[in-house]
Amino acid sequence: MLEQLLIFTRGGLLLWTWQELANSLKRSLVNVLIRSWLLEERAGDSCFQYADAATAAYTLKWRFHNQLGLVFVAVYQKLLHLLYMDELLENVMREFCLVYSPRQTNFPDFDDTFRQLLKEAEANSKRKGVAQQNLRKGLEGKRHVMRFEGKGVKSAGKESNEKTSSGGDDEADGEADSKGKTFRNGDGGKNANGSHLSGSSSYSDDNDSLMSRNSHETAFDVSRLQLRNSKGHGKKGTTPLDAQNSSSKEDVGKKKAKKNRVWGDAPPPSKLDFTQPRDEAVQGEPNVAVVVDQGLSLMDKDEEDEDDFQVDLEEYNFTAKGDDEKKVPTKMGWLSSLVQSVAGKAALEKVDLEPGLKVLRDQLMTKNVAADVAAKLCDSVAASLLGKKQGSFTRISSIVRAAMEGALLRILTLKCSVDILHDIHQAKEQGRPYVIVFVGVNGVGKSTNLAKVAYWLVHHDVSVMMAACDTFRSGAVEQLRTHARRLQIPIFDKGYEKDPAMVAKEAIHEALRSKQDVLLVDTAGRMQNNEPLMRALSKLINMNEPDMVLFVGEALVGNNGVDQLTKFNQKLADLSTTANLHLIDGILLTKFDTIDDKVGAALSMVYVSGVPVMFVGCGQTYTDLKKLNVKSLVKSLLA
Amino acid sequence: MAADAEEEQLLLVSSLRQWDSWKQLQREEVALFSTFGVLFVTMVFFYVVIRVAFRRKVSNTILLVGLSDAGKTTLFYQLRDGSAHQGSVTSMEPNDDEFILHSESTKKVKIKPVHIVDVPGHARLRPKLDDFLPKTCGLVFVVDALDFMPHLRSAAEYLYEVLTKTVVARKKIPVLLACNKMDKITAHSTDFIRKQLEKEINKLRLTRSAISSADVTSEISLGVEGEPFKFSQCVNQVSTAEMSALNGQVEEVEHFIREQVKP
Repeated sequence: MLEQLLIFTRGGLLLWTWQELANSLKRSLVNVLIRSWLLEERAGDSCFQYADAATAAYTLKWRFHNQLGLVFVAVYQKLLHLLYMDELLENVMREFCLVYSPRQTNFPDFDDTFRQLLKEAEANSKRKGVAQQNLRKGLEGKRHVMRFEGKGVKSAGKESNEKTSSGGDDEADGEADSKGKTFRNGDGGKNANGSHLSGSSSYSDDNDSLMSRNSHETAFDVSRLQLRNSKGHGKKGTTPLDAQNSSSKEDVGKKKAKKNRVWGDAPPPSKLDFTQPRDEAVQGEPNVAVVVDQGLSLMDKDEEDEDDFQVDLEEYNFTAKGDDEKKVPTKMGWLSSLVQSVAGKAALEKVDLEPGLKVLRDQLMTKNVAADVAAKLCDSVAASLLGKKQGSFTRISSIVRAAMEGALLRILTLKCSVDILHDIHQAKEQGRPYVIVFVGVNGVGKSTNLAKVAYWLVHHDVSVMMAACDTFRSGAVEQLRTHARRLQIPIFDKGYEKDPAMVAKEAIHEALRSKQDVLLVDTAGRMQNNEPLMRALSKLINMNEPDMVLFVGEALVGNNGVDQLTKFNQKLADLSTTANLHLIDGILLTKFDTIDDKVGAALSMVYVSGVPVMFVGCGQTYTDLKKLNVKSLVKSLLA
Repeated sequence: MAADAEEEQLLLVSSLRQWDSWKQLQREEVALFSTFGVLFVTMVFFYVVIRVAFRRKVSNTILLVGLSDAGKTTLFYQLRDGSAHQGSVTSMEPNDDEFILHSESTKKVKIKPVHIVDVPGHARLRPKLDDFLPKTCGLVFVVDALDFMPHLRSAAEYLYEVLTKTVVARKKIPVLLACNKMDKITAHSTDFIRKQLEKEINKLRLTRSAISSADVTSEISLGVEGEPFKFSQCVNQVSTAEMSALNGQVEEVEHFIREQVKP
């Protein structure tokens, strides 16, 4: 049953509400929806699911009326999959707009209209439900036929829900997405109650589609089998059989130590290991030049801000593109589009916006923005423009561009201030070191950028200490030791083959004892789907509770960057033992100098995680660390 | 006789010539005078037009700023309609309207309407503030007195940002710290809020000035070096007030608005 329906203006005033059973108004829920979803440019998604430990789980659906600036939100229990919600929202929107006038703030007559609409919608859905049941009974015997027509049955059964026509792919995507998007470090993510937010971008599940779901399962059985097989190969020891095999192989291996191949008659060399023993290495190191001053870090240099930030309104002649003509059903000829741009139009429709959005989507993807992020952004922009009046002498392409520019600026604007120095001072007042942990996949530049951050902090009169918790990669400890020597800061390390979590713990004790302000912890690179390594990382973070977890990602990464970030966040949340989830707090974007203007990776990462970009690494010397310049980023994305 | 006639003729001619030249001169003079006259009139005209068009319009815009959930939208509707209607949710867009304050709508005297803008408090929409600042003549910073301590730092940062904008300092825009939700028992007092904000801003001032010039997003520095920060040290006037937007106790805010926008 529908629990609540709210109508409010974009400015925030509640115009009309309806509650079932005199529930208390779920205004806080709507606030959470607005803050963590709609303002995050996810308005293109179909629904939002909220789960709280205290209250029941709810699903929220919304509709915008862009011309009048109204928002319609429906709230119902998550367990009930109400089909008629979309239809009801559309009807309510239509009826309300007839009644609405700008200055009016009270709509007492609308209650009756709404009750009527609700009754109609419920009756409709019951009728459809009965019809589908009949359909199911009639076709139960012909399941293998349904396999090929699975998509057809589904679309016939749900006329009201237009977003379901893409079928099984969406289902698989939806599951992955709903899990992937569960944990973001937004306002709601760090709730004291431990509530977590998840949104699904796919269609809403519904009970009536059992038949079609079965058909889809049979249809995709083969592909799922293949997936399972490939996963089995990748993971070590997933099944007991595999574990047995691998252990037996190891035993065999130990018995037969590898013998070096002998070429000719030469006797095998006795020792192939040329690494120097540790105490020799310490003495044998050459004198490392101390870095006193290499100048100001780029963090401190003002970037030339262009005051008149005007987006170049380039002309997109979308009617000339060949493939557009095939895809867009009603093609607008050159003359008609000219007339429309001069005269204006009463209400923009999806078909009008589609060409311009497609162009923008392609443009974003050429700038290395992840494909689904670009798609979602375009959906959100479309949702905010539908039904708006097109003024005269404006082209649709310029309207779409302006809206997209606004959306990008909004996403990239920091949600909360990133004043690290302020936080460090606060931690100093409390008498404990500020701990920053650098995590990321292999080879992104964690150790290099750790040194850059240390250099910057040292220049701001903050005492820094490094902790070498990368105990796996050969040379990692020596690398950090070299940096520490050059920067003249203390370093804590325990060599190789030690447990990183314990090393970090001891490092924190050491920093506390020697009254350091900041402790920078370096970890080993790991792939996001490597379960044991992610568990180890989670253990390190849970045990030591750092103040900031910095995800280091390279700007060269493509669609995989989104996957990395979501999986890291997910694993950190899944495997955390304490009630407080500690997720990724910031992003450090590296290798920014290697991309000319294909700066999309920054946008994808920020959109997916909701976390700000703290630093940007743009070179390999100590001074190559700067802040993200939002305006120039947006400019190069849309250029 | 002939000589006389000739003389006469000569005289006539010369006098004619004189008259001619004098006429010409007159014509030239007239032309000259007329050009000067036209020029003068045009200049006067332009001067008047420019003075009228570009004179410093006394602005009547008041901004309502503050964190999310402070009560800005409620205050806006209270000022406009005298009631908060059915409540409000987080604003996604600014509320912008020009009206006569509801409490003064009963007066028979013709009062100048006030243009009030309620800027959303959500961090992502903060850049909208810059669109409205140039034409502002007064700023009301709404603070939630009930849920104050958890948001102290964000409130202080926002207030610091506002106070250090060049526009605010240059035009000496007066700021009113309105403590909202004072009808609740557990709400903090105005004095407490003011002192806490001063302390936080002092801390912010020190850390922000420790960073080099580029990191400082603000354009000017606040307060006096070496002394702890106080609102009285600001160039513009910062005053405090109590109110309860939901209950309609907004007299102090209205008083402030009336002070800025002279009727």
